[in-house]
Amino acid sequence: MDRRFPFKVLEHIFSFVDSNEDRNSVSLVCKSWFETERRTRKRVFVGNCYAVSPLKVARRFPKMRSLTLKGKPHFADYNLVPDGWGGYAWPWIEAMAARRPLLEEIRLKRMVVTDECLEKIAASFRDFKTLVLTSCEGFSTDGIAAIASTCRKLRDLELRECIVDDLGGDWLSYFPETSTSLVSLDFSCLDSEVKLSDLERLLSRSPNLKSLKLNRSVTLDVLESLLRRAPQLVELGTGSFSDELDPEEIAKLTKALSELKQLKSLSGLWDLLPEYIPLLYSVCPRLTSLNLSYATVQMPDLIDLLSRCSKLQKLWVMDLIEDKGLKTVALCCKELRELRVFPSGADLDETDVTLTEQGLVSVSEGCKKLESVLYFCVQFTNAALVSIAKNRPNFRCFRLCVMEPFAPDYRTQQPLDEGFKAIVEKCKDLRRLSVSGLLTDKAFEYIGVHAKKLRMLSIAFAGDSDLMLHHLLSGCQSLKKLEIRDCPFGDTALLENAAKLETMRSLWMSSCFVSFGACKQLSQKMPRLNVEVIDEHPPKTRPDSSPVERIYIYRTVAGPRLDTPEFVWTIHKSPEVGVSRLSIR
Amino acid sequence: MENSNSYSPYSSSSVDSTKPSPSESSVNLSLSLTFPSTSSQRETSQDWPPIKPRLRDTLKSLRLRQRGYNTALFVKVYMEGVPIGRKLDLSTFSGYKSLLENLSHMFDTSVICGTRDRKHHVLTYQDKDGDWMMVGDIPWDMFLETVRRLKITRPERC
Repeated sequence: MDRRFPFKVLEHIFSFVDSNEDRNSVSLVCKSWFETERRTRKRVFVGNCYAVSPLKVARRFPKMRSLTLKGKPHFADYNLVPDGWGGYAWPWIEAMAARRPLLEEIRLKRMVVTDECLEKIAASFRDFKTLVLTSCEGFSTDGIAAIASTCRKLRDLELRECIVDDLGGDWLSYFPETSTSLVSLDFSCLDSEVKLSDLERLLSRSPNLKSLKLNRSVTLDVLESLLRRAPQLVELGTGSFSDELDPEEIAKLTKALSELKQLKSLSGLWDLLPEYIPLLYSVCPRLTSLNLSYATVQMPDLIDLLSRCSKLQKLWVMDLIEDKGLKTVALCCKELRELRVFPSGADLDETDVTLTEQGLVSVSEGCKKLESVLYFCVQFTNAALVSIAKNRPNFRCFRLCVMEPFAPDYRTQQPLDEGFKAIVEKCKDLRRLSVSGLLTDKAFEYIGVHAKKLRMLSIAFAGDSDLMLHHLLSGCQSLKKLEIRDCPFGDTALLENAAKLETMRSLWMSSCFVSFGACKQLSQKMPRLNVEVIDEHPPKTRPDSSPVERIYIYRTVAGPRLDTPEFVWTIHKSPEVGVSRLSIR
Repeated sequence: MENSNSYSPYSSSSVDSTKPSPSESSVNLSLSLTFPSTSSQRETSQDWPPIKPRLRDTLKSLRLRQRGYNTALFVKVYMEGVPIGRKLDLSTFSGYKSLLENLSHMFDTSVICGTRDRKHHVLTYQDKDGDWMMVGDIPWDMFLETVRRLKITRPERC
């Protein structure tokens, strides 16, 4: 008797399943569920572009409307991955253009995107709506012009922190006069000036525009004219905020800012001058997100600004805010969920910037909804970490960067093991953790035992031995991404826990003591892992005991990749083949 | 769960003894633990602390400015009659002389400033008020503050 649900019923039920993780589970139940799920998935996410072939993905999901891909390892953000490593978008764009012409959204992170890719997107997807490129490179403003001019239904064009070959601001003029569909536009990473009249006209005919992020070249004197044409903005990234304005211009700009009744998010603010802070008073009470990373404003002025932001949920700021400024945040910003404090480098000049662990302790005390932190600080204490953990067991993301490598607790001279133990013990929902400071293997034993929901872990300059890695790989059940630099372990733990690596997305290790022989053994043991060695200065001969500079290990069903540059070696499965650089130019 | 007191294949003693502990500064193998421990190392290190390139560059210029150093000052340079321009970092020049030398070399012609000369190309600049002026009248430092772009004109124009 056929007890299966008819396809139509299953399809209807699955249409309520949004999360891809749930959909992945659903697809493992049985063949008919797999078939139904794959025919109904609209939003496809591939966390490692080399884990699967583009063709397979295109074939599996016929109803795909949105594709999100990630390329390079996360440490590429910090210059640890040499240029030319890979992460090319082209094979994906080509495959989708041929098979999935109804694709509407493409989101890429840390990938190499060429003008050819952008032109292909513009030419192939007639309903294309959304292009979001984060930390991508390889294209010029010509490619952007192609998207602007050809995608008639374009809603979102966002270039977030990309490295673009900037040939000038003409690309903006390529939006046709008939284009009125824009909802978000982010060109904050470009350098060139765009023509003011082009921008004004574009804003005037885009009534749906909710998010606008200008680049630094847009000077303060023209901001008013732009805002007048887009009073419905919810997110605004200004350009430079430092040009001289006369009193009349100041008055006009103040008024224009106060007219932005829907504004919730503010960023840009390059070189914000203290005398212009009062201009922002009118928007502060409504702000839920404020990015002051480029606003080199001192503590008293920051207090002036932040004390008016009672609804703030997300704050990115430089350490110029100091402990005192963070105390104000703790008092005034009761809705705060995410805090990032970046290093201004003032400590390198021996100027007095008093940002210490106390700042973070205050915020953890005062802001009860705080769940995500990125904090750069010169040194820290166990006591502070214990307080922070006790105050905020609801942390989901805790990234502490003690900038002095191997820095112990500066009061007790002890390693920071006990502090991080408190964090992982108390914060049961912790998904992401970055550790720093002086840490022994004990710290990693604690992490292995307690951090059961941890998915991503970043480690630098820590640990004593292989035990450290063993604790992590045998303990952290949910671990998906592990990135390690400058830690003194290598082969043994890696080989003992090889099976674990297939349950993870990827493992990055640089400047550790992994030997070439261990890489070979690992690759031969695990057929579905790509073990890639990155060596910019390879030795003439490579005995098994020789260390490798960097390795990147990831699970894949696509086999070794064929686009490796000359400094990347894929280790082969069969001992006779050994190591090669398969590459197709 | 491993008890770190009992015998463990991972204890430090069984690890290759040629590997240095972090406190040792000399390294035996071709691998080097280069950790940026001193301030000056941290200053020049490109990968520590872990912040993204754009922020790193912004902070570098900020600190250079605070110390009184000139940061990069790229301006566009056009030669009259030539549609494609060049970009030049003025902060790399010590004064008008080196600027002219460089321009003459870049455009393969003799470029001068100041006097109107029917034979040579004359260098002009657009200042922050938008006006076109002859290069060379004001002190170099003041020029750097006000210059927005450069144009090499045909001799007769001036």
